[in-house]
Amino acid sequence: MQLTFDDDVEAFRAEFVAFLEANLPSAGEADRPSRSTADIPEWARRWQRLQFDAGWLLPGNPPEFGGRNAGILQQYVHLEELSKRRILHSFNPQGVGIIAASLLSFGTPEQKRRWAVPLLRAEITAALGMSEPGAGSDLASLRTRAVLDGDHFVVNGQKVWTSGAHDADVILTFVRTDPDAPKHKGISVLLIPSDTPGVTRRPFGSIASPDDLDFNEVFFDNARVPAENLVGPLNGGWGVANGSLGHERTLLWLIFAERLADLLVDFHPVTTLDEDRYATLVMDAHALRWMGSAALAREARGEQDVAALSVLKLLGSEAAQAATEAAFESAGADALDHPVLTGPLSHLSLEAYVSGWFERYARTFSGTIAGGTSEIQRTIIAERVLGLPRG
Amino acid sequence: MQSEFDEDQRLWQSTVREVLAKECTPALVRAVVDADADPAGLWQTYTNLGWTQLVDASEMVELAILVEELGRATDPTPFLATMTQFVPLAPGVAEPKQTGAAVYEGVTARRDGDGWVLDGAARHVLDADRADWLAVVTAEGVFALPAARATIRRVPVFDPVLHVGEVTLAGVRVADGALTGADPEKARHQALTGLAITMVGACQRVLDLVLEHARTRQQFGVPIGSFQAVKHKAADMHVAIERARALAYFAALTIATNDPRRRLAASMAKASAGECQSVVFRHGLQLFGGMGYTWENDLQFALKRAKAGEALLGGADEHRALVAKESLALTGVDSRAAHV
Ligand SMILES: Cc1cc2nc3c(=O)[nH]c(=O)nc-3n(C[C@H](O)[C@H](O)[C@H](O)COP(=O)(O)OP(=O)(O)OC[C@H]3O[C@@H](n4cnc5c(N)ncnc54)[C@H](O)[C@@H]3O)c2cc1C
Repeated sequence: MQLTFDDDVEAFRAEFVAFLEANLPSAGEADRPSRSTADIPEWARRWQRLQFDAGWLLPGNPPEFGGRNAGILQQYVHLEELSKRRILHSFNPQGVGIIAASLLSFGTPEQKRRWAVPLLRAEITAALGMSEPGAGSDLASLRTRAVLDGDHFVVNGQKVWTSGAHDADVILTFVRTDPDAPKHKGISVLLIPSDTPGVTRRPFGSIASPDDLDFNEVFFDNARVPAENLVGPLNGGWGVANGSLGHERTLLWLIFAERLADLLVDFHPVTTLDEDRYATLVMDAHALRWMGSAALAREARGEQDVAALSVLKLLGSEAAQAATEAAFESAGADALDHPVLTGPLSHLSLEAYVSGWFERYARTFSGTIAGGTSEIQRTIIAERVLGLPRG
Repeated sequence: MQSEFDEDQRLWQSTVREVLAKECTPALVRAVVDADADPAGLWQTYTNLGWTQLVDASEMVELAILVEELGRATDPTPFLATMTQFVPLAPGVAEPKQTGAAVYEGVTARRDGDGWVLDGAARHVLDADRADWLAVVTAEGVFALPAARATIRRVPVFDPVLHVGEVTLAGVRVADGALTGADPEKARHQALTGLAITMVGACQRVLDLVLEHARTRQQFGVPIGSFQAVKHKAADMHVAIERARALAYFAALTIATNDPRRRLAASMAKASAGECQSVVFRHGLQLFGGMGYTWENDLQFALKRAKAGEALLGGADEHRALVAKESLALTGVDSRAAHV
C-alpha cells in the first residue's frame, strides 16, 4: 500500500500538465458550445486533433491511434489532470471511449483506418445504437433485424436513446442476424453511416428541456449497409458488447469520481444537516478513489474482474446522485433559478450549457440508469461477486 | 497511489486467518459467553506469536489487517484495547504479555510537589477491568500507571463478549516519570482506526453468515438467496463493507506514513464503519428471519461487536461533523489537490 505514485508516473503527469498549459484552447477560441454528445465544434475538433497528434488523446494507445503506449496508472493520472480542470475528454465521449475502442479491439485493419482514426482525430463523430423500445436492461432481446443480401446487410427496426445520433456521422448498431439462435448468440454489430438511405433520426428533448436535444429515435427502413461494415464476427455481437464496454468499465468509475470532486467545490453547506451530507460526499469521494485504484492495479496486471467494477459503478453513481441532491437542497430557493451556473464550468466542459441544480441532479440519473441500472448492478454483485444463486 | 496489499501483507493476512480459524473458534467464543471460559490461553497464543509487538505506528497497516480478522472472529481478548488504545498512549510501558486500557476523558492532573495527583472517573473504558496498565489522558499530559492504583468495576453491556469498565481515580499520586510524552491526538487516530477496522471485520462476518444462510435456507422450493429482494440487500451490505474497509485502510496508511490527512482519515474511517454497521445489522438480522433472533445463533456476536463499536469513541454522526469541518478547512487551500 502507498499513498503516492511512483516517480515515473509523476514525471508522466508533469509532462502532460506542461502540454495542457501550453496548448489548452482559450475561452476566446471557443466561439460556440457543443450542442450534443456527437457535436464537436470546429475549435474543439482542432483541440482533439492536437491531442491525438501529440499522443495525449488516449495515452494507452499506440502512437498511430493517438497514444504513447502508456500504462494504466499513467492513463489514470492523465484523466485525473483533465478532471481537475473540468476538461471533458472528448465532446464525442461515446465515439472516442466506446466506438473507437471497440473498433481497435474488434475491427479489421481497414475499419481502424477508415473509421477509428477519423473518430479519434475528430474528423467524424459516432453514436451508439444498442437500446430499443423493447430492449433496455434486457439488451439481448433486441429485435432490429439485419439480413445479408449479396454484399450488403438490409437493416429494419428501431433504436432509441441513441445519444447524439442526429449529429453523428456513423452509428455503431447492434442488430439481430440470427433470429433462430439463443438470444445472446444471434447478435451482430454494424457500422451504419447515418446518411444511408432508409435511416431516419429523430431527436427528442430530455427531462431538462425540450431544447436539450441529445436523445434520438433512429429508424431503419430497408437501410442497405455494406457487409464490410460488420464489426467482429457474424453473430458475435454479444462478445463485442462485453469486450469494449468491459474495458471501458475499468475507468468508468472515474466519471463519478470527477462528479464527486466537482461537488466538493460546488456544494456549499449552510446548515448542520448540509455539513453532515457534505461529509458523506467527502467519504464517498475518498472511498471511490481508493477502491478504484485497486481495480487499476488489477487491470495493470492484465486481470479482468468485471463484476467487481459493478461495485464501483453502483457506489459512484449513487454517491454522485445523493451528493448532487444535497447540494441542490442546500441552495434553497436559489435552486429554482434556471439557467444558472452552479460551479466554475468552463468552455471545455459539456455541462456548461445545462448547469442549473435541477439539470445537474437529473443528469445523475444517467449514471444510475445507463450502462446497466443500479438494480442490474446489485444483481450482478450478488450473483457474481457474492455467489448467490441465479434466478 | 496503491490501495492493494503488497505480497508481505497478503501473506500476513492469510497467516492471521489460519491462526484464528484454529484458535479463536466460534466454539470458544460461545464458551466464553455461556460457560465463562477464560480467554487467557488465547491471549497467550497471541503474545507467543509476537502479535503484541506490532507497537510502532509505522506498522499500522499490518496491525489493521490483524485487527480486522480479530473483529471477524469476535476476539474475546483485550487485544484491541491494549494495542490500538493503550500502547499508542504509552509506548514501551507494558511488557509484551501485559494488557492495557485507555482513559480518554474525565480525569484531571494536579501538580503536587515533584509529582502529580490524578482525580476523576470515566465510564465505558474498554477492557479496563482486566488491564494491567492504564493510560490516562489529561490536560497536563498522558500518564501511565498500574491499573491496580485505580478502582475499576466491570459494567454489564449488551455485548456479552466485550469487557467495559468504570474507572475511578481518587487522589492517585504519580511521579513525573509516569508522563509518557505521547501525542494524544495521534494516539486517538490509531484508536479510531483500530475500532473502525474491527467493526468492518465484524460486519464481514455478518455478511459471511448471511450468504451461507441465503444459499442453504430454502423457502418456496428455492434458496432464499435467489430472491432479488434478498440479493439486493446482500449487495448493499457488500458495498457498505467495501467502502468502510477502504476508508479504514486509507486511515491506517495515513497513520503509518504520518500523512497530514490523518485526522480527516481517522474520522472518515470511524464514520463509515458506523454507517456500515447500521446497514449490515439491519439487513443481516432481517435476512436471517427468526433464526437470527435467537440466543443460540452465533450471528449475535458479530452483530453486537459491530453495534458496540458504534457506541464507542464517537458515533458516525459525530465523526461526520468532524469530517465536514476538517475537509472544508482543507478546501480553503485547493480542495481538489487536497482530496485526490
Ligand atoms: C442519459 C442516457 C443516455 C443514454 N444513451 C444511450 C445511447 O447512447 N445508446 C444506447 O443504446 N442507449 C442509451 N441509453 C439507454 C440505456 O442504456 C437504457 O436506458 C438502460 O439500458 C435501461 O433500459 P430502459 O431505459 O429500457 O429501462 P428498463 O430496462 O425498462 O428498466 C426500468 C426499470 O426496471 C428495472 N429493471 C429492469 N430489469 C430488471 C431486472 N432484471 N431486475 C431488476 N430490475 C430491473 C430497472 O433497473 C429500472 O429501474 C441512455 C440512457 C440514458 C438515461
